[in-house]
Amino acid sequence: MSARLEAENLYKVFGRKPDQAVERLRQGDVREDQGDVREELRADGTTAAVIDASFTVEPGEIFVVMGLSGSGKSTLLRMLNGLSEPTAGHVRFGGQDLTELSDRELREVRSKKISMVFQHFALFPHRSVRDNAAYGLEVQGVPRAERERRADEALALCGLAGWEKSWPDELSGGMQQRVGLARALATDADLLLMDESFSALDPLIRRDMQDQLLDLQKTLKKTIVFITHDLNEAMRLGDRIAVMRDGRIVQIGTAQDILIRPANDYVASFTKDVDRSRVLTAAAVMETDVRGDEADCDCETALPDTPFSELCAISARVPHAVAVVDGERRLVGVVPAQRLIGFLGDEDDVVPGVCDSPRDKGGKKVISRA
Amino acid sequence: MPRIPLGDWVNSSVDWLLDNVSWLFTFLKDIFTGAYDGINAVLQAPEPLLLAGIFAVIAFWLRGTFAGVLSFVGFAFIDSLGLWDNAMVTLALLLVATIIALVVSVPVGIWAARSDRVSAFVRPVLDFMQTLPAMIYLIPAILFFGTGSAPGIVATLIFALAPGVRMTELGIRQVDKELVEAAEAFGTTPRNTLLRVQLPLALPTVMAGVNQVIMLGLSMAAIAGMVGTGGLGGDVMESIGQLNVGLGAEAGVAIVILAIYLDRMTSALGTHVSPLGRRAAAKARAAKGLKIWSYRPQPQVAVIGIVILALVAGGMGMFGGGSDDAEAAGGGKNVGNGKKVSIGYIPWDEGVASTFLWKEILEQRGFEVEAKQFEAGPLYTALAQGNIDFQTDSWLPTTHEQYWKKYGKQLEDLGSWYDETSLELTVPAYMKDVNSLEDLKGKADLFGGKITGIEPSAGEMNLLKSKILKEYGLDQEYKVVDSSTPAMLAELKRAYSKQEPIVVTLWSPHWAYNDYKLKKLKDPKGAWGKGDGVHSLSRKGFSDDNPVVAKWLKDFSMSEKQLTSLEAEINKAGKGQQQEAVRTWLKANPGVVDKLAPVEGGSGATPAEAKQPLDVAWFPWEEDVAVTYLWKNVLERRGYKMNLKQMDVGPVYTGLASGGIDLNFDAWLPHAQSNYWNKHKDNLVDLGTWYEPTSLEIAVPSYVKDVKSLADLKGKSDLFDGKIIGIEPGTGQMQLVKNDVMPAYGLEDEYEVVDGSTPAMLAELKRALAKKEPVAVTLWSPHWAYSDYDLTKLKDPKKAFGEGNTIRTISSKNFPEQYPQLTKWIKNFKMSEDELGSLEAEIKDRGQGHEEEAVAAWLKEHPDMVGRMTP
Repeated sequence: MSARLEAENLYKVFGRKPDQAVERLRQGDVREDQGDVREELRADGTTAAVIDASFTVEPGEIFVVMGLSGSGKSTLLRMLNGLSEPTAGHVRFGGQDLTELSDRELREVRSKKISMVFQHFALFPHRSVRDNAAYGLEVQGVPRAERERRADEALALCGLAGWEKSWPDELSGGMQQRVGLARALATDADLLLMDESFSALDPLIRRDMQDQLLDLQKTLKKTIVFITHDLNEAMRLGDRIAVMRDGRIVQIGTAQDILIRPANDYVASFTKDVDRSRVLTAAAVMETDVRGDEADCDCETALPDTPFSELCAISARVPHAVAVVDGERRLVGVVPAQRLIGFLGDEDDVVPGVCDSPRDKGGKKVISRA
Repeated sequence: MPRIPLGDWVNSSVDWLLDNVSWLFTFLKDIFTGAYDGINAVLQAPEPLLLAGIFAVIAFWLRGTFAGVLSFVGFAFIDSLGLWDNAMVTLALLLVATIIALVVSVPVGIWAARSDRVSAFVRPVLDFMQTLPAMIYLIPAILFFGTGSAPGIVATLIFALAPGVRMTELGIRQVDKELVEAAEAFGTTPRNTLLRVQLPLALPTVMAGVNQVIMLGLSMAAIAGMVGTGGLGGDVMESIGQLNVGLGAEAGVAIVILAIYLDRMTSALGTHVSPLGRRAAAKARAAKGLKIWSYRPQPQVAVIGIVILALVAGGMGMFGGGSDDAEAAGGGKNVGNGKKVSIGYIPWDEGVASTFLWKEILEQRGFEVEAKQFEAGPLYTALAQGNIDFQTDSWLPTTHEQYWKKYGKQLEDLGSWYDETSLELTVPAYMKDVNSLEDLKGKADLFGGKITGIEPSAGEMNLLKSKILKEYGLDQEYKVVDSSTPAMLAELKRAYSKQEPIVVTLWSPHWAYNDYKLKKLKDPKGAWGKGDGVHSLSRKGFSDDNPVVAKWLKDFSMSEKQLTSLEAEINKAGKGQQQEAVRTWLKANPGVVDKLAPVEGGSGATPAEAKQPLDVAWFPWEEDVAVTYLWKNVLERRGYKMNLKQMDVGPVYTGLASGGIDLNFDAWLPHAQSNYWNKHKDNLVDLGTWYEPTSLEIAVPSYVKDVKSLADLKGKSDLFDGKIIGIEPGTGQMQLVKNDVMPAYGLEDEYEVVDGSTPAMLAELKRALAKKEPVAVTLWSPHWAYSDYDLTKLKDPKKAFGEGNTIRTISSKNFPEQYPQLTKWIKNFKMSEDELGSLEAEIKDRGQGHEEEAVAAWLKEHPDMVGRMTP
């Protein structure tokens, strides 16, 4: 079973006297003029890549770290498996503090418990597809027959059965990344670190891969930390999303949280272009303040994870607000049509104004019913 | 600006190193020479063509059929040039240097790739090693490692290390960072990251580095010839020293063949050992399909082929080696006790034949025989002066009448050994209506008015010009063209093949009568005189010194059949192979040796000191080549072993002083090499002069009419373009010219003494001579240039050049203790100008690689020489 990953006050500073820089950054936080401290340090030639990052990833969760290039997300990821040693802070995984391990123990953890998928696939060109997939097992010292069997399984899982004897340069980008994924899965590591793993792929293939990842996750239930600069991808994959800016995590929340309640203008500006209808679900849109009888009719209802677009369709067919029920058909909320339109227009929780010459009473009726 | 005494620091640190860490250098030297000896032994053991076959199979395996065939052809070509042994020496040297270079450079490159600090440190060191002129560390290399293969390997190593380190570092640094990170992310240890990811992926670049190491090593191996490493480098050095462009080209081509082979093989190996290369090659093959020229066998097949050839080679090597030893040991009837006999000969066929016959016979009898080639005139002079012992090619009473008259009193006639001779003018048989000398009259147009003659000094030419032509009234119509016997024969051959009219000066017996259909022109007036007998002449007193040999010579006679068959054999074998031809002939005519030289004596004593091999260094200068090989021949008769090492002057002195070399025969002292001598004199011993006088001078071609003395140069700078062509800067002679001679004659403002090198000076001289341009060069006597070209030594009335040097033998400090007998012999050793000149000429004529034969030949002409040198 997957284990819980905790990052606590992680700092990573490149350059001279990193410890002093961390101290200054900590004091800067107290002074509440953080941005300036980072700028000051940069002027000294010291780069603060990650500043005070803390988060917890639950077992079986896909945790997406989202940010523009240079925001420190890749560095953050590399601190999670010790490829980059944190300047300050702790990483705990499955009860072990990775920051306190020796090199040898850390390598042990990396070979057995944490695996990684890279942006540019990082397949070994001098190894066949099978040998690539088996690489992690080879490092662990698994005997050849077994590691080839497990590698073949992982490849099959990623849809590459029959390509075992090919060479990486004979595969398309998408297929190469499937090999990368198979390599990461073959070791049965609990924690999967994915560094912009789908960014280098064509949009259609990227979508395929995302679907495949979600598919796999249903059965494998790995703990996954996924780095991306693409908010749509983040929203699609992430159970929770951390948005990073200039080395800091500015918001952590579910896709809807981020979309509906951006922590600041920066996040808001990010979410602006997001196709809300794809991200929002009934759970995010619904009013939880219910009377209790909304679902008593035979009308169509929605589930909490019914996507926004489908919700609209239901709403169009149902004469009243759509009732949202959970798996056991218990009412959890309602979605009035007005609310749907409001979300689409990025105006949630609005009370419609009064029209001077109402042509239709419908709206009022709905309001009064709500 | 204060003078920074960098040089002093370097000197003192070199001294310190010598005093304190010599154990390290000895250790390294042992490694280098051990590895070299091993590899060289392996390469030298098999038959050349078998080894060429092995090389070809390797090429076949790595690159395909075409490359295999080409490799075999290339190596067979090297063998046919007679450069095989030297090529293998170079290859062995190169392999050792390459292996050591890789053992050092790959780890250093890896280290540099993993640490920026190491990289920053290593880079300037590499720049330093690569750009520092090789000469600068060649000399200290001798100080540290002595002479021989070790300094050559060190020099090659220093030069060739850099690309190995650089390419390894580059290759590893070029490996995609993400791949390295991927390896680390899966918990790979640093060691395995290196071995499983970085090195395999860097391999193509590393192999390109290996390739560069080999190529640079090869170019350096040629330069290392300067320090007595031998091999093709030695050939190159020697050919440059003697201005032998042909030989230089041969050695150069051999190096190029080696280079191309090694280059192609290592780059092919690169694709084979690296997984990426294998993939690319497999793809390319799949695309191209199977072709016979690019067909490559499976590795197993190749290995089996190589093993079979190697086994055959090993087997043959064993048997071959065995028989060689038997031959060497079976010399048996040693009458000569290594006594020196020198034979002079004129390069006429019967002279060559009889001389080399005697050389072989006398050598079999334990004499050390040298055969010197002369023009007729100098031959008699040399004989009269006692510089050579005997010669076998005296045409008496007619042809050599003038010489006999002049020198007869100082000579002994050992009798005629061949009587049926005649001199004649000869035309091809297709000249139907020319049968007698009288028929030549009025046919000058037909022959272009030319009679193709031989050496102008030959008696026959004299006779022809002064008597024959007049007698038949041809002197107005025909011009007798002076040339040489080979040139005459070449001209005859050319005309004969085109069926053109030609008339040549010829004599009987001559092999040309066997090979071509020729007609001897009748001499109805008897102008040529009666047929001569071919006599053996010796210097006065030879028969007292060498009664046995004298008796043999007196009893010597040959039939026409014997002589012509021997001549034909020699002619077939070609120049430089005379003695082999004689051996072949002797095999076909068993019993001749015993008949001509019946044995009575016992065997020569081998002094106890002879057990230690001698290291003798020689400069590629004519007199040194001559004297060194002479001693080699003589001493080997007495059981000494000599390792000859060709080196430059500086290295020789350093080597002698450090005890790495035992002897050098060519010390020009007290002036020319005084700077070297003074530096090392505490560690050197002067074993005395063997040749004097020598002189240093400025020489001009004799067609520069009005310049006879140094004083005449004044005011003629326009004529010589204001230049005096010098030799190596820093030599005693150059310093003398610049500091003393020029000011003494007030020439320093008019002329510039151009620094260069001896070969460059000789090349310039040759060029100017060809164009008949005025030129002034710094030269010295003895030098072959005086015998080859018409030069005027400029007189030095003010004695600015000082007294002449004498040529001395110098040795390491311990030498007299180690070799008391030899020291005594060397101290008593003397050579006359004619002896030296004739030996030099002999060696020069034989060409490089045949020095030993030349010496052996010369010794035959100087039968007393062995006795004189090692009584």
